[in-house]
Amino acid sequence: MLYAILSIFLVAAVAPVVHRLTGRASGWVLGLLPAALFVYFLSFLPAVSSGESIVLVWPWMPGLDIQLSFLVDGLSLLFALLVSGIGFFIVTYAGRYLQAHRDLGRFYVIILAFMGSMLGLVLADNLIALFVFWELTSITSYLLIGYNHEDKDARKYALQGLFVTVGGGLALLAGIIMLAMAGGSWELSEILNNGDVVREHALYLPLLLLILLGAFTKSAQVPFHFWLPRAMAAPTPVSAYLHSATMVKAGVYLLARLNPSLGGTDIWFTTLALFGAVTMFTGVFLAFRSTGVKKVLAYSTVMALGTLTMLIGVGTETALLAAMAFLLAHSLYKGALFMVAGILDHEAGAKDFLQTGGLRSALPVTAAFAILAALSLGGVIPLFGFVAKELMLEAVLDAPGLVGILSLFAVLTAILGVAVAAIVGIRPWFGARADTPKTPQHEAPVAMLAGPAVLASLGLIFGLGPGLADQGLINAAAASVQGAPVDGYLALWHGINLPLAISAFSLVAGGLLYWRWEQARRALAWVDRAAEYGPEKGYFKMMDGLVWISEWQTRVLQNGYLRYYVIVTVAMTAGLVGVTAQLFEVSVGTLHFERLQIHEMAIIAILVASMLFAVLTRSRLGAVAALGSLGFTVALVYVLYSAADVGITQVLVETLTVILLVLVLFRLPGFLNLSSSALRVRDAGIALVTGGMITLLILSTLDARLFPSISQYFIEESEPSGYGRNIVNVVLVDFRALDTLGEIFVLALAAIGVYAMLRFRAEDRR
Amino acid sequence: MNMSVALPVILPLFFGALSVMFWRSHFAQRSLGVLGTGAMLLATIWLLMETWEHGHVVMEMGSWPAPFGIVLVSDMLAAIMVVLTGIIGFATAIYSLSGIGKMSEKFGYYPLLHLLLAGVNGAFLTGDIFNLYVWFEVMLVASFALLILGGERSQMEGAIKYVTLNLLSSMIFLTAIGLTYGLTGTLNMADIGAKLATVEDTGLVTVIAMLYLVAFGVKAAAFPFFFWLPASYHTPKVAVSALFAGLLTKVGVYALFRVFTLIFNQEVDYTHEILLWVAAGTMLTGVLGAAAHYEFRRILSFHIISQIGYMIMGLALFTPLALVGGVFYIMHHIIVKANLFLISGITFVMKGTHELRQMGGIYRTNPILGVLFLIPALSLAGMPPLSGFFAKFIIIRAGIEAEAYWVVAVALVVGLLTLYSMIKIWAEVFWKAQPEGVEGEIHDVSSGPMIWMWIPVIMLAMMTIAIGLYGEPIYQMALMSAEQLLDPSQYIEAVLGVQE
Amino acid sequence: MNMHSLILRTAGHFLLPLLLLFSVFLLLRGHDEPGGGFIGGLVAAAAIVLYLFSMDTESARKVLRVDPRDVLGAGMVLAVLSTIPGVFLGQPFFTAQWWEFTAPVFGDIKLSTVLIFDIGVYLVVIGSVLTIMLNLAEAED
Repeated sequence: MLYAILSIFLVAAVAPVVHRLTGRASGWVLGLLPAALFVYFLSFLPAVSSGESIVLVWPWMPGLDIQLSFLVDGLSLLFALLVSGIGFFIVTYAGRYLQAHRDLGRFYVIILAFMGSMLGLVLADNLIALFVFWELTSITSYLLIGYNHEDKDARKYALQGLFVTVGGGLALLAGIIMLAMAGGSWELSEILNNGDVVREHALYLPLLLLILLGAFTKSAQVPFHFWLPRAMAAPTPVSAYLHSATMVKAGVYLLARLNPSLGGTDIWFTTLALFGAVTMFTGVFLAFRSTGVKKVLAYSTVMALGTLTMLIGVGTETALLAAMAFLLAHSLYKGALFMVAGILDHEAGAKDFLQTGGLRSALPVTAAFAILAALSLGGVIPLFGFVAKELMLEAVLDAPGLVGILSLFAVLTAILGVAVAAIVGIRPWFGARADTPKTPQHEAPVAMLAGPAVLASLGLIFGLGPGLADQGLINAAAASVQGAPVDGYLALWHGINLPLAISAFSLVAGGLLYWRWEQARRALAWVDRAAEYGPEKGYFKMMDGLVWISEWQTRVLQNGYLRYYVIVTVAMTAGLVGVTAQLFEVSVGTLHFERLQIHEMAIIAILVASMLFAVLTRSRLGAVAALGSLGFTVALVYVLYSAADVGITQVLVETLTVILLVLVLFRLPGFLNLSSSALRVRDAGIALVTGGMITLLILSTLDARLFPSISQYFIEESEPSGYGRNIVNVVLVDFRALDTLGEIFVLALAAIGVYAMLRFRAEDRR
Repeated sequence: MNMSVALPVILPLFFGALSVMFWRSHFAQRSLGVLGTGAMLLATIWLLMETWEHGHVVMEMGSWPAPFGIVLVSDMLAAIMVVLTGIIGFATAIYSLSGIGKMSEKFGYYPLLHLLLAGVNGAFLTGDIFNLYVWFEVMLVASFALLILGGERSQMEGAIKYVTLNLLSSMIFLTAIGLTYGLTGTLNMADIGAKLATVEDTGLVTVIAMLYLVAFGVKAAAFPFFFWLPASYHTPKVAVSALFAGLLTKVGVYALFRVFTLIFNQEVDYTHEILLWVAAGTMLTGVLGAAAHYEFRRILSFHIISQIGYMIMGLALFTPLALVGGVFYIMHHIIVKANLFLISGITFVMKGTHELRQMGGIYRTNPILGVLFLIPALSLAGMPPLSGFFAKFIIIRAGIEAEAYWVVAVALVVGLLTLYSMIKIWAEVFWKAQPEGVEGEIHDVSSGPMIWMWIPVIMLAMMTIAIGLYGEPIYQMALMSAEQLLDPSQYIEAVLGVQE
Repeated sequence: MNMHSLILRTAGHFLLPLLLLFSVFLLLRGHDEPGGGFIGGLVAAAAIVLYLFSMDTESARKVLRVDPRDVLGAGMVLAVLSTIPGVFLGQPFFTAQWWEFTAPVFGDIKLSTVLIFDIGVYLVVIGSVLTIMLNLAEAED
């Protein structure tokens, strides 16, 4: 299993080479991989359909409970088969569709990587492994949506899709961490058996909301539905893949997967059912409103995703069975229809239904399979779409609550769904021959027809023989979602009942709507205006807001004035010290004025006077002189406390510093009056407060001396062990020679720096 | 006697001295550069292996017993940091063979490089608080000189802000050292830790802790002390930026980790709560700053800040897992961030600018570079299965387990915004076509003298992937360092021997 | 800044050798009496700077005979090398090695790695200060 998934990434890495070697046949050659995987997954079918679930484990980061473990049961196998099966058709299709595109090699890399991520996602048993693959699908789909990357819109909408799905993904990350804490394990196979514990856990509500946020963004539920149609900026094979079998279904997969563990509560039911129903209706309504070929299909995908979410929320056995059947039906017809859309574009240059009409004669094979798929979309008997829709209506009518609202949405959706199916299945093929941008010369090549043909036919086969589907896998999948075996079954004919009546009614009503499509669309023109205040607007507002806030904060914080940076740093220091001292009631040290001697007072007086002069003077020379006097006085202090070496050093350093300052002084401009006196008073205040605070701190520390100093050791050991009577020097060159080594290197560095500063520019100009 | 702990300091000092001595010969400079950093890398790996085996490696310099002389101490955290220094130093030295230019070589680039690395390693390995200050000085002066190498006006402007604020930090640090010495009578950090552990009245200690917080906060470019970083990091030579981005702020972070585990562990509720706020502020301001900019290196610079926030968050949460996350994050970040800067150097050679709006079309002409950019960029944004994902995951998980939900929320949002910035660079520099009206001066970077720039970029990208695909060893190292950090008595015993 | 006053020039001429000699004296006796490499280096550097002020940069450079950066590099290498010998005896870096012997005329002499280290310090200080000062003075012209 691990090797199966890794193989995709490995083949992806060498895909450009394969492409170069095999040229026009590259689609078929690379298609072999998903085909082989499909067969490999089929080998699990007997075991899984008899109710087994298989867990396969490879260690990854055991310390963090992360492993590459895979869970093969009905649900994951259904998805794996769809991903690899449709993947085969997509790769071969793309081989022809993008034949002329110079980046086809790179395309294979990304689409195969995407396929691998998707398989990993649906098969993962470990939550983190699942999340890893989840994010990988976001990234790879970003690269796919932005495939035509020199187009500004492609970049923009690729970012939009990425931002929404990754944003949700981050919520999901927090959610699954909580889920693992609540469920006591990082393995789905264990958490799913721990449903009661999870539902009782204090974190249940937050983790549920976070996970739903992740799933809803990925699966384009209202109000996050807007990114999905925008993702149509991608080449058509990508759309076919992302919207039929994969990416957008990942959220639905997650909901289905976690149903045994999270489902069954009121909040689960209400949230999923309502969001699903609203999404379902919004999707089909916007599909009906649109005219772009891919846009109509994209919105009808939104509808499908809403339906699935709603059914999982309803959660009865019928509903789950319906969900799985609908999932399969949708994948088949939607995959087929998107590939047909690509053919329309490829052969006729048509991207909008309004440009099309009467193409039946030019593209007879395409038309036939398109109509077949559209019938399934419309839920017309005897296609598999019909089976799924009947079951869906039945489930909604039997829902444990909200029957009225859900039924209303379901009926409206069924009607509009028929109309949309008619747009797809009738408009391009019948009626008067329209002037398409390109006149179709011939039928599409086999590589591009294979997909629609097989997928649409499967819709018919499963419709006529639903037992093939439910015995094979649908029952097992529904059982995984339910967390218990499923007794129900799929049937084409349930007898004459309410769902059938609704179907019949919607067929008529939908047909009428299609007949009046033009008028209906015009009547609904207000929707466009309303959409300007929709969630997509919110997204753009948010992005603008982000840029605005970041620019504002940068202007305020990083405003370029050094003095402001210094003030903030100093004031923060004073603030932290002051507040902490207050909070912990640190006692203020005492100053023993009575011990002060006359010469000490004199020194203090000189120090203060020099300092004041340096601060107040307006001449640079004066300031330098004052600083010099400050330095020499400090040297005096050292000498007074019998640190002769330090005193001498201080005098020498001070001398050289003054010389240095004098050397550079005349290059500097005179003092400028840059700040008002109010500002200067403020600065003086900050300086005084900070200085005062540090002084008090020193006094407190002096009072609180807790331990004897290590200096005693130096005094004792200097001569016997250091062979020197000058303790300062022994400290410098022996006890703490490493410090000295560091410091002389600092000096050396300063010299190198000054040298470079003075000479680099001059020499560079030469 | 185990020399492994001293070599990462002595070697670059020695090679730095040698390359000052041979300042006239370009050939000597360059060979010493590669040789010295290569030797240092080997020495650091040796130290890591020794530390892994023994837990702590200690050397009393000059044979003077602790706490009187200066000790060099390597625990797992220090050893990890030193190895990363070795990696980045070596990568930079190789990159510089094509990327730095004769003029910079002539004016002391290589000695500065060696000595900067010595300062960084010294800071990681020293067990003495004043010696730490000395290494900070070495770093500061070396980095200042590197910043102005090139003599551009913008460099000077940035460098002045850099040096002023860092000197302020040094001053506060020195004050704090003085007060600590006054209180404990010792400079040995293990000794200070041991002594302060016995103090009952923790008020004064905590006040002093605040000074360390500010001093190292400035060095780490944490909120609200980060101003110097965005003011200066986009100005020097790219190799210098990369070196700084990888290492300098991390010394500040390391120092925070060190003192706020070993020394100031008395009032954790208070000090680490402040750290948590600092972390959140750092994450947010950094990432917002990046969102506001359209210059390659400025964006990267602001992201350094935001990621410092994640590291500090690991320290602030103060649980074993959180510290693992912090250490893991540091390891991941150094490799990734240095690499991004190195890549910006290659694109600069190609396009002659760092302005995103004037760049474009590189994915078309040079897809390999595109992939090489995506790897660290997505890793930085925490995308799996790259190194950054696991780093982020550990910290988020630790945050949730510690019930620090608000800071987790901040960290998650910042992750998303990081992705936004990285994608911005990707879309503008790589995806977008070369804008019209802007001359796309394409220099060939795939051959001849430019070839050295690619080697470290590829090397670092491979490491990013490797950590992502097999992070268990990294996790184990981080785990060991976290356990050591949370139990300071191990460190104290290793330095001072078993205490009565 | 050329202060070609006669007094200064004469003083420079006379003082220079004296001060340099004094600086070496400070360096050597530093271990027992006030002094040492750092102070010695500062005195020597100050002497040459004084000479620089009294004459010109050209002649100040001649006093050294070599580029101050060579002095700097030599000092750095010497300082680092002096920390190594102990390692060969299985001791940590920086461990001082002492060799005492009696020589005619000078009496007891203590030689040590510590002294070598101090000479390194001495050279680095001279080299650094002069690199800075000479270049500053030259940049002026």
